[in-house]
Amino acid sequence: MLERPDGPDLLDTAREVLLNELLPHLPEAQRFHARMVANAMAIARRESVTDTDSVLAELRALLNEPEAEPAALLSRLCAEIRAGRHDPGTPDHAAVAAALAALVRLRCSVSAPKALGR
Amino acid sequence: MDEHARARLAEWLTGAAGMPIAITRMALLSGGAIQQNWALDVTVGGTAQRWVLRTDNATVLSASLPRPAEFALLQAAFNAGVAVPQPLFCCADPGVTGAPFFVMQRVAGLAQGHRLARQAAGMGGDRALAEALGRELARIHTIRPPRPELAFLGTPPADPARAFIARQRTALDAAGTPRPVLEWGLRHLERTAPPPPENLVLNHNDFRIGNIMLTESRVTAVLDWEFAAWGDPHADLGWLCAPCWRFGNRSLEAGGIGPRDAFYRGYEAESGSRIDPARVAWWELAGTIRWAVIAADQAARHLSGKERSLELALTGHIVPELEMDVLRMTGTLHA
Repeated sequence: MLERPDGPDLLDTAREVLLNELLPHLPEAQRFHARMVANAMAIARRESVTDTDSVLAELRALLNEPEAEPAALLSRLCAEIRAGRHDPGTPDHAAVAAALAALVRLRCSVSAPKALGR
Repeated sequence: MDEHARARLAEWLTGAAGMPIAITRMALLSGGAIQQNWALDVTVGGTAQRWVLRTDNATVLSASLPRPAEFALLQAAFNAGVAVPQPLFCCADPGVTGAPFFVMQRVAGLAQGHRLARQAAGMGGDRALAEALGRELARIHTIRPPRPELAFLGTPPADPARAFIARQRTALDAAGTPRPVLEWGLRHLERTAPPPPENLVLNHNDFRIGNIMLTESRVTAVLDWEFAAWGDPHADLGWLCAPCWRFGNRSLEAGGIGPRDAFYRGYEAESGSRIDPARVAWWELAGTIRWAVIAADQAARHLSGKERSLELALTGHIVPELEMDVLRMTGTLHA
C-alpha cells in the first residue's frame, strides 16, 4: 500500500551516506555530532523492526494479567520486586529472572546490540 | 561568551586578584552536557598564565553540586595533596558571565577515556597507572568529616549503603518510568547490604577514566568534583571498577586501565587500610545502577522538552546495557 523502499531501508541508506560521504569532509569538532546522528539512526532502524510481543506475553503470563498495558505491567512487576515477592526462594524467582533476562536482551538488541555478545 | 562578558570577566578577575589581569585568549575546551570548560589565557601584571574557567551549561543535574561548592572541594583536595588543578578564584554572581564560575590553573594531560583505554590495552594493561590511581584515591579519602568548609555536603549518612538504596528508589519513583531490572538490582543490594563502614570519607563519586588527567602513567589532575559526598570509601573503589567504566577493556578491571590487584595495592599502600573485596563488589553493582539512573534522568530532560538534545537522548539508550551488567552481577544471567 505504501511506497518502497520502506523506513528501515531509507535509514540504512541515509546512514551510509552520512558515514561514507559526509563525515570524512567534516571538521573534527563536528564528527562527534555526525557519529551521534548515525547512532540514533541505527537505533531507530532496529527499533522499527523489533517485535515486543513475545516478551510482553511472557510478562503477562507471569503476572497473570492477560490484558495489562505494558506500563501497568512493568509498574506492577517493579512494586512486587521491591516488596521482595520475587526474592530467591520464592516460587516465581526463576521465572521472573528469566523474564527479566529476556526483557533486557530485547532492550539491548535495539539500544546496544554489542552488549549481547559479551 | 561575547565581548561584553569577557570585559566584565577581566574586570572581575582584576578585582579578585588585586592585580591587573588581561585576557589574551579564550577557547571552549569541552562542552559537556552539564559543564563548560574554557581555556583562559591571561596576563597577570604582565606575566602570562594558562588557566581554565569552569562554568555551568544549560543543563544542571539535580544531583550535581553548584560551582562554588565544587571550588571548595577543589581547595580541600589541593590542601590534602591530591593531584588537582590549583583553584584560584570563584564567582557565585551570575551577573559577570551569565552563570557562576570558577578559575583554576590549567594542567597538562589527557583525559579522553577511550584513547587512554586503547593505550592501556595496547600494553596489556598499565599496572603502574592502576597503582597510581589507587594511591590518588587514597589521598582523596584522607578528607574526612567533620569539615566546616564543606558544610554544604550535609550530615554524613549513618548507613551509606541503605541511604544509597533509598535515594535511588526515590529517583526512580520521581522519574515515573518503571524499570524492573533496576528494581531487581536494588532489591539484591538491599538483601546483601554491608553494615556501615568503620570510617566515612569524602567520596569523589565520579573517580574514573575520563575525569582524570594523565601523562605517562602519572595522575596530573582529578577533575569533576560535582558529585562528591560523604560515604563509604568502597563506593569510589567500586565505581572505578564497574564494567561500564572500563571503556571496552572488560578484562582490565580497574577502569579499563589495569588489573584490579594493582589498583587495590596502590590504595592499600597509600591509605594503610585494607580493602574489603565483597564491599567493593556491592558498590560496583550500586555504581552500575547509579549510572543507569543518571542516564535515564538525562534522557528524561530531553523527553520533557526542557532541553531537546541528541546527546541527552542517546544517553538514555545506555540504560539497557547497564541493565545487562546488573543482571550479570546479580547472578541472573546464566546464558
